[in-house]
Amino acid sequence: MSEPTPSLPPSGDDQGLEQARLLAAMAKGDRSALGRLYDSIARPLYSLAYRIVNDSAEAQDIVQDVFLQIWQKAASYDTTRGSVFGWAATLTRNRAIDRVRMRKRRSELLAESAPDLQPAPLEGDLDSGASLWLQEKARAVRTALGQLAPDQKTAIELAFFSGLTQLQIAAKLNEPLGTIKARIRRGLLKLKETLPTRL
Amino acid sequence: MITERQEELAALHAFGLLEGQERIDFEVELMRDPELRTLTLHLVEAAALTSLSAPQIDLPSGLKDRVLAAAAQSAPTNVVAFPLLKFAPWAVAAGLALAATWLTSQNFSLRTENANLRTERQLAETAYKMAQNQLAERSLLAENMISDLGNKLRKSEDLARLKVTALASLAGNTKEAQVIAVWDPERQAGLLTMDKLPATNDGEDYQIWVVDPAYKNPVNGGVFHVSSDGRIALPFKPDQPVAQAAAFAISLEKKGGVPKAEGPIVLLGK
Repeated sequence: MSEPTPSLPPSGDDQGLEQARLLAAMAKGDRSALGRLYDSIARPLYSLAYRIVNDSAEAQDIVQDVFLQIWQKAASYDTTRGSVFGWAATLTRNRAIDRVRMRKRRSELLAESAPDLQPAPLEGDLDSGASLWLQEKARAVRTALGQLAPDQKTAIELAFFSGLTQLQIAAKLNEPLGTIKARIRRGLLKLKETLPTRL
Repeated sequence: MITERQEELAALHAFGLLEGQERIDFEVELMRDPELRTLTLHLVEAAALTSLSAPQIDLPSGLKDRVLAAAAQSAPTNVVAFPLLKFAPWAVAAGLALAATWLTSQNFSLRTENANLRTERQLAETAYKMAQNQLAERSLLAENMISDLGNKLRKSEDLARLKVTALASLAGNTKEAQVIAVWDPERQAGLLTMDKLPATNDGEDYQIWVVDPAYKNPVNGGVFHVSSDGRIALPFKPDQPVAQAAAFAISLEKKGGVPKAEGPIVLLGK
């Protein structure tokens, strides 16, 4: 009845540990570690930034700022508070949303990016250049998202990518605020259960 | 036990959708509830992974070089700073505790000093009032004393103004007589006190005379009659103004007196 729960390949934990080690080396001033971390996670971060701001130059600025911040704050990274990728993705998203809000182009960008809210093909845009680790991660996430009810998935994607407030999401989807909150809660809890804690 | 409400808040927090007081309240709750903290951490991680659902785009060439070049101009935060930062809240708390202790002790000290100063001021005010009362009492006493002294002075001046003369007997029948004349020149009046003055016959009176150099003859001071005991206090007033009462005399005259002394002078005093 239900699809099999996606599981992570063993390399996921290894990648997480390797990224944590790179951060420890960066904290000691090892710039080559920064280069290796960039190779590991820059592409999804850039894609995330571009997905939110819809502008290549701005997305590049965001990625550069995020890696610079990671470089400077590497010593403060606490492994008990989440993965390196999770930390970097959160930094990227927050900066991108700040830019969107600052430019006051939210409505324009939403209109432009509305087609992107449609479910993406599970493996269609993963090019051959992406690392195997990244391809597996992206596949697991999209599979998990695909298991959500469509209204939950839409609410989750709007909450993550749009930078809209709760009320604005409710207004955009023409649903009561309580309904939107419930969809976000149920959708994210399901994602948590479906995805491993460390990809 | 985590409620649905907490799950909802945690999910919204993971997407950065909590604002204002709702966000502050939830963050306070997070600090207190480790179970909720763990759930929120997992939800934040799951939300971050949502980013992988975005279409993957090739990285622009040159971006890596820019990142590394920017990093070359900026050193990472010192590793040693991590444990220091970890203990920073405790250091701040310790500092605040020390500051609070110092402020409390200062507060107590200042309160005590304030209470002492207040007591000293009250004592000083009491002493001042007592001194004021004593001064007022002494002032009143001094005023009374001054008033008394003034009265006494006036009395002494009055007395000094009076002329007191003891009259001596010039007749054999008045040897034991004691007569004193007191004269007040301002009032032009006098007083005679007499004792053991022989009684007069029915047809006779004693007559008082005031000797004034301004007049050729003594000035008449009036007549009086002495009963058997011979004791009398008699005010008298001459019938002419007396400028200087040089002497007083008493003569024995016919009843009713005479304008000019005719009978024997029985008493005389200067």
